[in-house]
Parts: sequence; C-alpha cells; structure tokens
Amino acid sequence: MSYIEIQKLSYSYNEKTNVLDDINIDIEKGEWIAVLGHNGSGKSTLAKTLVGLLEPKTGDITIDGITLGEETAYEIRKKIGIVFQNPDNQFVGVTVKDDIAFGMENLCVPREEMLEKINFYAKKVNMLDFLDKEPATLSGGQKQRVAIAGILAMQSDIIIFDEATSMLDPYSKEELIQYIKTLHKDGLTIIMITHDINEALLADRILVMNKGKVFAFQETEKIMKDKETFTSSNLELPVALELANSLAQDDKFKEIRDKLWEYALTK
Amino acid sequence: MKSVIIGQYIPGKGLFYKLDPRTKIIAVFLLMVSVFLFERIEQLLIALGVATLLLLVGKINIIRVIKGLKPIMILLIFTFIFQIMLNKQGQKVVEHDMYFTLFTLLFLVIAFILWRVMVKITKFRFTFFFLFVISIYLTLRYVDYGQTIIQPFNFAIYEDGITMSIFVVIRLLIIITLSTVLTLTTKPTDLTQGLEKLMHPLKKIGFDSESFALIISISLRYIPTIFDEANKIMMAQASRGADFSEGKLKDKLRQVISLLVPMFIIAFIRSEELANAMESRNFVPGEPRTRIHELTMSYRDTLATLFSFSVLILSIVLKVI
Ligand SMILES: Nc1ncnc2c1ncn2[C@@H]1O[C@H](COP(=O)(O)OP(=O)(O)OP(=O)(O)O)[C@@H](O)[C@H]1O
Ligand SMILES: [Mg+2]
Repeated sequence: MSYIEIQKLSYSYNEKTNVLDDINIDIEKGEWIAVLGHNGSGKSTLAKTLVGLLEPKTGDITIDGITLGEETAYEIRKKIGIVFQNPDNQFVGVTVKDDIAFGMENLCVPREEMLEKINFYAKKVNMLDFLDKEPATLSGGQKQRVAIAGILAMQSDIIIFDEATSMLDPYSKEELIQYIKTLHKDGLTIIMITHDINEALLADRILVMNKGKVFAFQETEKIMKDKETFTSSNLELPVALELANSLAQDDKFKEIRDKLWEYALTK
Repeated sequence: MKSVIIGQYIPGKGLFYKLDPRTKIIAVFLLMVSVFLFERIEQLLIALGVATLLLLVGKINIIRVIKGLKPIMILLIFTFIFQIMLNKQGQKVVEHDMYFTLFTLLFLVIAFILWRVMVKITKFRFTFFFLFVISIYLTLRYVDYGQTIIQPFNFAIYEDGITMSIFVVIRLLIIITLSTVLTLTTKPTDLTQGLEKLMHPLKKIGFDSESFALIISISLRYIPTIFDEANKIMMAQASRGADFSEGKLKDKLRQVISLLVPMFIIAFIRSEELANAMESRNFVPGEPRTRIHELTMSYRDTLATLFSFSVLILSIVLKVI
C-alpha cells in the first residue's frame, strides 16, 4: 500500500466540465514529485482536493491508510500541509511567532510545547532572529519559510508547494529550493507544483497534467528521455530542449539534436 | 511603506506596560465613569493632577500624550466656546456690546488670511487657530467705527459658563489621556485578547468573542499589506499618467474609483486564499484552540484594580454627599 493513493478522482467546479478527470496516482513515502502542466490543467485543484479543501465528485484519496472524508479531514490535514503561491495571503499571525503557532493552536497543542516547537522549527528554517517581526517587514522568501515552519510544527510529513517559488526573486527562489532539498533528505514527502522545468528536474518523479487528466507520470530520468511526451505536452522547455525539438523536424540534424537532449538532461 | 504603525503602541518598559490588558481596560472604564461622576471643578482638577502624576510614575512620554490630544484640539476649543456663549446661569462676569461694521469685516478677512498663511508656513497650527478665534472676539468687541452692517448686539459671559466650559474641557482631557495611555502601552494584539477574555461571558447571549478577536487581529495584520498594495496600484496608475494630487473633484472621484476597484478585487481573492490557508492548517471556527499568548496577572494588577475601584467609590460617595 502506498503512502498517498488517489483513485478514480474527478472534480468539477460547475458540474459540466471535469477539471480533474479520472486521476489514478500512487505516491510513496519520502518521494519528491513535481507536477507540471499548463495554466488551467487542474494542478491547483488537485492540490486542494488532497488537503480536503475541495470535495471530490467521485473517487477516493487515501493518505497513510486514512481515506479522506468529512470526518477524517482534520486527521488528514495533520499529515499534509500546503504552501501557496502568494506569501502574503497565507500569513495569518500578527508576528512570525504567532503564525508558526497558528496550526498548533488549532490542534490544541499545550502552550509550553508550542513555545519549544516554535523555537525548534524557526531555527530549522533560519528564522529564529525574526520571531517577533511583523509580516510587512519580511521578504517573500522569508514568509514562505515561516509557512513551512508552521507546517512542520504541526508534524506534517507531506508538503505540497503550489507554485510557492513563483513570486520570489531569483535569490530567494534558489534559497527555497535548497531548503526543499533538505526537507526531502529528512524524509518528507514533497509534491511540488511548478512551471519551471529546471525545478521539476530535481524531483524523483514528474507528473504532467493536461486538461484535468494525467498526461504522464514517470521517473524524471525516464520522462526526460521520452521526447514524445514532452514534444506533445507543449510545455515550456529549457532552451536546449526547445532547440533540440525544432531541430527534430530535419533528419540532417539528428546528431546535434541527440547531443542537446543529452546536455539538457545531464545538467 | 514598511513602517506603517499599527495603532499607537510604542514599545517601552514602565509600570503600565507590565499590567495585564484586562486590568487596563477595566481600570480605564472605571476611571472614566468616575470622571463623569465628579461634579465639582476642584475634584476634577485633583483628578487631572493625579492623572499627570500617574503618567510620570509610569514613565509615559507626556509629549506623546499631548500629540494624541492634537486631533481633538479643535473639538475642545469649540466645546469651550459653545459652553461659554450658551450657558447663561450665575453672575455676569463680562458684559458689553459687540459691533459688526465694514471695518470689522475687513479685519476679519485680514485675520483669516493671516491665519491660513501662518498655518501653511509654520508648524503651530493649533496656536494660530486659537489666535484666530481670539482675534475674532477682539475685532467684534473693539472695532466699532465705519459703516454698520449688523446692529450692535449684547454679549455676556456668565460665571457658570466659565466654570462649565473649563469643567467639560478638563473632563474630556482626562478621558482622552486615559484612552491614549491604554493604546500607547498595550499592543493591539494584547488589547484584542484582553477584550476577548472580558467579553467571553457574552457567549451565553450568542456573542462569539473568539471569532471577534480573530477578525480584529487579522484586520490589524493586513493593514500594512493593504497600504502597500494601494501604494503599488497608485504608482502603477501614476506611471500611466494618473495624477492623484491634482484635478477637479470629478477627476479625483474617477481616480479614487480606479484605486478602489482593483483593491476590492484583490481583497476578494485574498480573503478566499487566506480562508483556504487557515482551513488547511486545521482551523475550524468555534472549536476550542490553545493560545500562544497567555495573559497573566500579578500583584500590580490587583493594586491597579483596587486603585480604580476606590476612585469610583470615592466619586460615588462625593456625589451622594
Ligand atoms: N474557484 C473556481 N471556480 C470555478 N472554476 C475554477 C475555480 N478555480 C479554478 N477553476 C477552473 O478550473 C480549471 C483548473 O484550474 P487550476 O487552478 O486547478 O489550474 P492550474 O493547473 O493550477 O493552473 P495554473 O497553472 O494557472 O495555476 C481552470 O479552467 C480554472 O478556470
Ligand atoms: Mg495553480
């Protein structure tokens, strides 16, 4: 049995078109999954159904043996946390300390224990010196790290990042990615929704969504060698791969094309 | 825009910082009631003296308190003038005729222009407002030559008028000082939490004080963010040629709308996303939660409550006697 099991999952906002259409996925504990797909392909919707913010039309989501439903949503949310795109719209507390505490307060963690955990996880995300700071004085990357600390403090071991780096400057972005790497090393399960193929290449497996369906779900190595998947998914590729694809039209450039693929994948 | 101050709170040490917010709210309430019960000017003057003494003991920056009084200075001056003019009890203190002539008009216009110019070029807005009011009085009283516009009329100030106006002004001063001290020394979060705890018994009549406190603390948290956003939108529109400082009323209205519409749209998106973030972190409205902030009382709180209670009792006793 896998850690996260999604079976025959469908969802629709308006009863007409399915935004998620018959999704079947298994994710193992400690895996790093990248989710790619066009705007509107249903990535965020999938993330929201996973944490029980949206109720599936059909199908089941099982996490660590618990099937998500109205009664179990509370238990499921202890295991799975989500970091959203806009750092400002998920910062609930008046200070960093308050925000890390928010989830624990909801879980009725005793105050003494909260104080200990706040210190521990603030240190972990490098925000110990900022505990009494207000969100207006923090950078986007710092706010995202506070969000992570809040999730870790709830003892969740799955974190979904829904384009969590897209509003950050290149430096904070790189910093956050490095940080996600250490979380992965610590054994957390990571689901990272992104538009950045280079970011996706860090994952163990890549899920490509298209119009609410699973377009491809394979090991990163494999999927990147599978030119067909990428050429037909119309995703924005790294320059080298773009070039390779345009060269693919002509057999004369076959050799150069293969070299470029190799280059993009090894880098 | 990073340093938008939330409320008036200024970090500090002193006695009032050490008190529990609940104590401060209750004490301010009790003292305000007593101030309304005091009926003699001597009592109020003593109260004002005690209040000033307390500020000194609590190491409160008096200048800050006076600054807190500024916005209501005009209200105070008007209250004073109305009391003096309308109260017609007791002995007459001053009585004379007032004149309104062409020259009076001329003097008034000059005084008005001088006042506006001085306000523009110096910082002492209230001083000059005060001088302007006095110059109106002096003009009406002494400028009696020239073509009469309004027939001379009688003007009198009565003893009670003076005492009452001083009385009302001191009363207002004390009340505003009390509330300024409260907001100056209490973090907005502590203030909301104090209110929440004090209003907790209202749950029986269906008032959810916890949600109320949460709403307030979220609003406080988003004030700087929204300020920031308004600034960004204004800059974005300025870069497309909008000018927020100039223009006719109609243009200004259009500019305000062009600011409000995007801000409301963003606010809707924001509230949706924030609700999602809160729910995903297991927030369920009305369910019990523990708190990271804990309010603790000490002997100081007992003393402060005792003090304000005795002031209240004193004021009741004085009223009954
Ligand atoms: N609250 C909503 N109400 C109605 N339709 C919605 C809502 N949210 C999303 N949709 C629609 O559902 C579809 C999938 O949206 P979703 O946000 O899951 O896409 P996404 O893959 O996350 O896209 P993006 O890359 O832009 O974030 C889109 O067609 C979108 O218009
Ligand atoms: Mg999305």
